Amino acid sequence: MAAALVALAGCSHSRPDRSPSTIQVDIEISPTSTDPRFATDAISSRIEELIFDSLVKSDGDGRFAGHLAESVERPSPTEIVFHLKHGVRFSDGRALTARDVLFTYHSVLAPESMSPKRASLEQLRTIDAPDDYTIVMTTARPYAPALELATEGIVPAGTPLPAEQNAAAPIGSGPFRMADYQRDEAIRLERNPYFPHPPDAVQSILMKIVPDPTVRALELAEGVCDFSGNNIEYDVLPWLAMHQSLEVSKTPGTTYRYLSFNFRDPRLRDLRVRRAIAYSIDRNTIVNTMLRGTGRVATGLLSPGNWAYEGNVTSYSYDPEKARQLLDQAGYPARSNGMRGLTFEFKTTPEGARMGEVFQAMLQRVGIELTIRTLDFATYYADIQAGNFDLTSLQWVGINDPNFYYMVFDSKKTPPHGQNRSYYSNSSMDSLVEAGMSNLHPEARRKIYAHVQQLAAEELPYVSLWWVDNVAVMNRRLVGFDAFPNGSFRSLATLTLSGLDGGGDSSQ
Amino acid sequence: MIHYLVRRLIALAPVALGVVTLTFAIIHLVPGDPVVAMLGETAAPADIVGMRHQLGLDRPLLEQYFAYLGGLAVGNLGESISYRKPVARLIAERFPATIELAATGMLVALLLAFPLGLIAGANPGGAGDLGAMGFAIVGISIPHIYLGPLLMILFSLDLRWLPLTGRGGLEHLVLPALTIGTAMAAILARMLRQSLIRVRESDYMRTALSKGLSARAALIRHGFKNALTSVVTIIGLQMGALLSGTLITEIIFSWPGVGRLLISAIGARDYPVVEGCVLTFAMTYVVVNMATDLVYAIVDPRVRMS
Repeated sequence: MAAALVALAGCSHSRPDRSPSTIQVDIEISPTSTDPRFATDAISSRIEELIFDSLVKSDGDGRFAGHLAESVERPSPTEIVFHLKHGVRFSDGRALTARDVLFTYHSVLAPESMSPKRASLEQLRTIDAPDDYTIVMTTARPYAPALELATEGIVPAGTPLPAEQNAAAPIGSGPFRMADYQRDEAIRLERNPYFPHPPDAVQSILMKIVPDPTVRALELAEGVCDFSGNNIEYDVLPWLAMHQSLEVSKTPGTTYRYLSFNFRDPRLRDLRVRRAIAYSIDRNTIVNTMLRGTGRVATGLLSPGNWAYEGNVTSYSYDPEKARQLLDQAGYPARSNGMRGLTFEFKTTPEGARMGEVFQAMLQRVGIELTIRTLDFATYYADIQAGNFDLTSLQWVGINDPNFYYMVFDSKKTPPHGQNRSYYSNSSMDSLVEAGMSNLHPEARRKIYAHVQQLAAEELPYVSLWWVDNVAVMNRRLVGFDAFPNGSFRSLATLTLSGLDGGGDSSQ
Repeated sequence: MIHYLVRRLIALAPVALGVVTLTFAIIHLVPGDPVVAMLGETAAPADIVGMRHQLGLDRPLLEQYFAYLGGLAVGNLGESISYRKPVARLIAERFPATIELAATGMLVALLLAFPLGLIAGANPGGAGDLGAMGFAIVGISIPHIYLGPLLMILFSLDLRWLPLTGRGGLEHLVLPALTIGTAMAAILARMLRQSLIRVRESDYMRTALSKGLSARAALIRHGFKNALTSVVTIIGLQMGALLSGTLITEIIFSWPGVGRLLISAIGARDYPVVEGCVLTFAMTYVVVNMATDLVYAIVDPRVRMS
């Protein structure tokens, strides 16, 4: 039947008709916004980095380095001065000046914009441009992670607010410009002619939105797609690695997967129960089997590459016997059937159901019953925000400055004021994360956050599960891919193309 | 006929009202907040409140419902919360793709079902019947989410005949249409077989045979047309399955249709888009069934449009 239809169509299939210097990158969903003043989700941020420049950018170890800013000074605890580079141009040829920076920040801060990024700038008190190439920011109080305020993508002065969310992005000064955007279909990026690049570099990128993970893998195997970053299912990686035309790259990442408790449940407020759960989960086995080795067992939010990482913390290697003892001590003795009358509900999305089943089996071995409730993402997210869960597992993406601990563990940062969704409350933790936020001395901060990490490992507001590796699958015609720990697509801008035929091949 | 059509069109109104009311209630009552989905968890609480007010989501649910009905009465499906575009425009942009897929799926189903049903019904219990009904069981049993990738591996990856995904020329339609049409073909083939077995015992078939017609000629010239009446009814009823099949098929094949829009809108709790898409599917279903009734009258002249 298919053969007959092929004949009817009079077609024979070949690679999509596109320039050899164009590559296809498959992404799983459309960005929520293409305007950097509004984009907050991971996919939007990845695309934004290719189109827009910011005053500073994160480096690999959680610090920030000048980007549009040639140099950065902190003349006083509440003042930061950015000296802009000369000669930077937007993709329409206009020079980027402090006026554009000022405009971008003012349009984010304007109440009528209702930008979701306003809250992230709450520490910014003033922003001024004393001349065309200087920006001065002041903060309401000494604020150590102030450089995070300088990561907004800059748009040209006068850029209107997006009337339609699927409108093509405004222009930026980054390596690419958005030439076309069909929401739920594809985004086409073309080179910013004013941004220097090597002659054999990728000239344009077709970002195709392919929601089905199996299809993304098939497109790579067929040679239709050239690059896929962190969106291929673990199970198909060995199959893709067998294709001669493909390279599977695995590098340590900063994305942090954790198991979260609801502290409003008195059973889970008991440290012995949380520790028993931590001892019950065989994270090494999960990483090696379910994740096919694409992760590292985590000790805390900050990964080893972060400047403030502290590895000397309490760890919970798999020890079911110890877990049983802790549950006995907590007043949950085993009954004749081995169970302890301790039932929790694990809420998850369909993607997390398999992980839930693994936790369920492991907890059952120590006598804890885990029921799994699978919900669509919007319902799940609403439940987690409302504190309507016992246990859940989520991940944090893009952790840079350790001030992140303030957002997730400070007792004042419960929803909707922050992301302490566990409703964890500990006055020592509050003091530490608030001190870390206001202390400007890096060595003093390192010590503060070493204590934070030790306390978090002791107290277990989260059970640290693993740091997710960055897995990129790419056609071998792409040369020079440099993986960033946070999974950024930045390296696509510097990729060059070898003369190899990127077409599909047969498995070895 | 015209009187009948007018009556059916008038009957659309209560159906539409029921669909709108049910969809409105379900999507508003399940947890999830379109404003949080749009602004993100880190948005300032004041901005969330402001956006909710701007979108009218802070009004009582009944008030929102009647405002939506008022819009519908003048043909306004509202504005998408996440796309910030009129819903009618969003659907109009994607509806042709869905209809193209559904119609081709139906064509594939008919092209498969008629020969299979005829082969099976001509000689029940024979090798052809076993083969055709074996196909039917497999066709009904394999879900779209599995069949689609299987077809992709065979026809795109191994044979390299057809493109994997996307909407383009006729070649892009083949695999999604096969995916969506196979299960329906299986059902129709089984229906046709049963009908043919039934009509084979009819007096007029015996008359045709006694006039000297061969068994095959009698079956094709007399039996097939009579067997079609029940199949036509099933085709109309199966349109619902076909349309719901587009939801999964559009995701698998990155097909830019209403199904994909609906899935994305449910995730974003984009209420007006969800309501608009469901209403579109429901109205398409009703109209196709109305058309089926008309075809029924053509196939069987004894049926009168009264």
